[in-house]
Amino acid sequence: MVRMNKSLTVLSAVTLSLAVLAGCGGKDDGSKNAATGTASPSGSSASPSASASSGDPVEFQFYFTGSQNVKDLWDTLIPMFEKAHPTVKVKEVYVPPGTGAQPTYDRIVAAKQAGKGAGGIDLYEDGINVVTQGGKDDVWDKLDASAIPNLANVAAATMGDVNNLAVPYRSSAVVLAYDSARVSEPPKTMDELIDWIHSHPEKFAYNDPSTGGSGSSFVTTVLYKDLPESAIHDSDPSIMKQWDGGFAVLKDLGKYVYGKGIYPKKNQGTLDLLANGEVDLIPAWSDMVLQQLNEGLLPKTVKLQQITPGFNGGPTYLMVNKQSDKKEAVYQFLDFVLSPEAQSVIVDKMNGFPGIELTHMPQQMQDKFKGVAEGFRTFNIGDLGTEINKRWQSDVAAQ
Amino acid sequence: MKKNLRQAVWGLILVSPSFLLLLVIVVIPIGRSIVSSLVNESGGYDLSRYAFLFTDKGMRANILFTLRVTVISCALVLAVSYSLALYMRFSSGRLSEWIRKTYMIPLFIPGVIATYGLMNLLGNHGWLARLLLPLGIDLPRIIFDQKGIIIANLWFNIPFATMLLTSALAGIPASIIESAKDVGAGRLRIFLQFIFPLSYKTFLVALTFVFMGVIGSFTAPFLLGPNAPQMLGVSMEQVFGVFREHEQAAAMAVFTFLLCSVLGYFYIRNMAKEESGRL
Repeated sequence: MVRMNKSLTVLSAVTLSLAVLAGCGGKDDGSKNAATGTASPSGSSASPSASASSGDPVEFQFYFTGSQNVKDLWDTLIPMFEKAHPTVKVKEVYVPPGTGAQPTYDRIVAAKQAGKGAGGIDLYEDGINVVTQGGKDDVWDKLDASAIPNLANVAAATMGDVNNLAVPYRSSAVVLAYDSARVSEPPKTMDELIDWIHSHPEKFAYNDPSTGGSGSSFVTTVLYKDLPESAIHDSDPSIMKQWDGGFAVLKDLGKYVYGKGIYPKKNQGTLDLLANGEVDLIPAWSDMVLQQLNEGLLPKTVKLQQITPGFNGGPTYLMVNKQSDKKEAVYQFLDFVLSPEAQSVIVDKMNGFPGIELTHMPQQMQDKFKGVAEGFRTFNIGDLGTEINKRWQSDVAAQ
Repeated sequence: MKKNLRQAVWGLILVSPSFLLLLVIVVIPIGRSIVSSLVNESGGYDLSRYAFLFTDKGMRANILFTLRVTVISCALVLAVSYSLALYMRFSSGRLSEWIRKTYMIPLFIPGVIATYGLMNLLGNHGWLARLLLPLGIDLPRIIFDQKGIIIANLWFNIPFATMLLTSALAGIPASIIESAKDVGAGRLRIFLQFIFPLSYKTFLVALTFVFMGVIGSFTAPFLLGPNAPQMLGVSMEQVFGVFREHEQAAAMAVFTFLLCSVLGYFYIRNMAKEESGRL
């Protein structure tokens, strides 16, 4: 009897642990299902209910990723939109950065290849790389102003850059941030900047380009300094040979930058150095500087200056999934996002530049971005960015 | 016979859950990493990813840097921890009481916060520099240098190593030491012939933990270390996340694993020797 009991206990222990294991496995399967198929059930179940009666609101799924401020922005904009357009509901799906941006795009492609429609993702937000990639994979819908009237407010060249496949709804640019208490005449061109760095040793810092866009923009701008203007839209690897001069300059600058060759990590790394006065001049994202000025994290004497030709700047895009069956609703939403009203919210919340041309914005907004929102260039060099980082690590950091 | 068989089956069933868990979360990922580290650029299989580790100048510097930081950190951590443990074992003053009460505190402070604290303390314009300024002392560069990584490693590893060694020393019977003293053994002799041999095994355990912790560390070296050379953990993240060379990152991971397993081998061999000696 005792033996019996004992073996029962053992048996239950085994089943329990097996159940736990199975649970783990099951969870894994579940998430896989979620990754490949969530969409198909929800997509197919949502559409009949949506089309059943035209009075019901149409709900589309909007996937986006980014820092907390991006989520705050959409949490403000979407209720505004839904109030004005009761027939459309936006289901926002926030993917925290670093966990799911790539899988989201993979889902779109996978759903298309499997013939499963939109895969439950009707609208997606990301940078230029994904726009270009999606152009190759033919997953983005071509947009035009007849469906989205406010699209006419966006600069035609910016739309041309992405073949009308995406809406640049906000942007920010890298600029020089300097402490005006110690720098009276900030450099205005790249050559002046390089001279300045030489004549003010250890007073300039840029961050490791693989850890943040502001350092990466500085590096890229130096590399393309003496190259023809068209080169910044060229992602052909043959151009890599022409970087040699630029890398020689960067290598030489190593002796003159902060700590004779220290490149802090992340965009915030150089901003911290500027804030505590260790350096006087850095390349930085305009939105980060403006936000930290508002919050008092940077001294009030910090000012911004764009150089000519400008640093890298770029829009963040919204893309419509070509397979989506709710495009009408998505278009209404995009039209709203590009309205001056929504754009003002974007500027206030994100300190980003509006996606539409400044002339369509209220005067006070135009004043705010004077000298900053102009002159940045959009580099569209595709995978070459990775090559730059690699070569920077071996040639400049490890010289 | 039948009973034996049944017991054997029961034994296997009882072991299987932990074995399966180990298989799924440790053995299979390691196997997959090894396989993917053997994939070369054209998709075939060879050792080119490993060759790169030793032929690329930057990568070689990273490996040497990692080993140097690890060895220095281990030596310093164990020296400090062992002296602390000895002091706490054989002294009963107020100071040792205070050390006993406070040495665990770093264990309860999250790594990133401690790292930022160190940056503020030891940075170029940090508190320490400001305190020393009136005395005319100029600090060398600590942050963005290997010194910063080593100091952070001391902070992270001393409490745990001290804890292990303290318990080992507490296990040495006072009678042994007293009787040695009675027959006239000096302090050094007592230490070398009794205390150290009796705590040697724990010393090795502590060394293994510190070594593995340091060699695979990421947060502190990422935030405090120089841009080049990098610790392997930082470089691995860069190769994996920024350069998107998953196979190369796998090769680095396997190499780190091999470095750790060298120490693991000595550790296990020593344990096994001890076990068989006891039988």
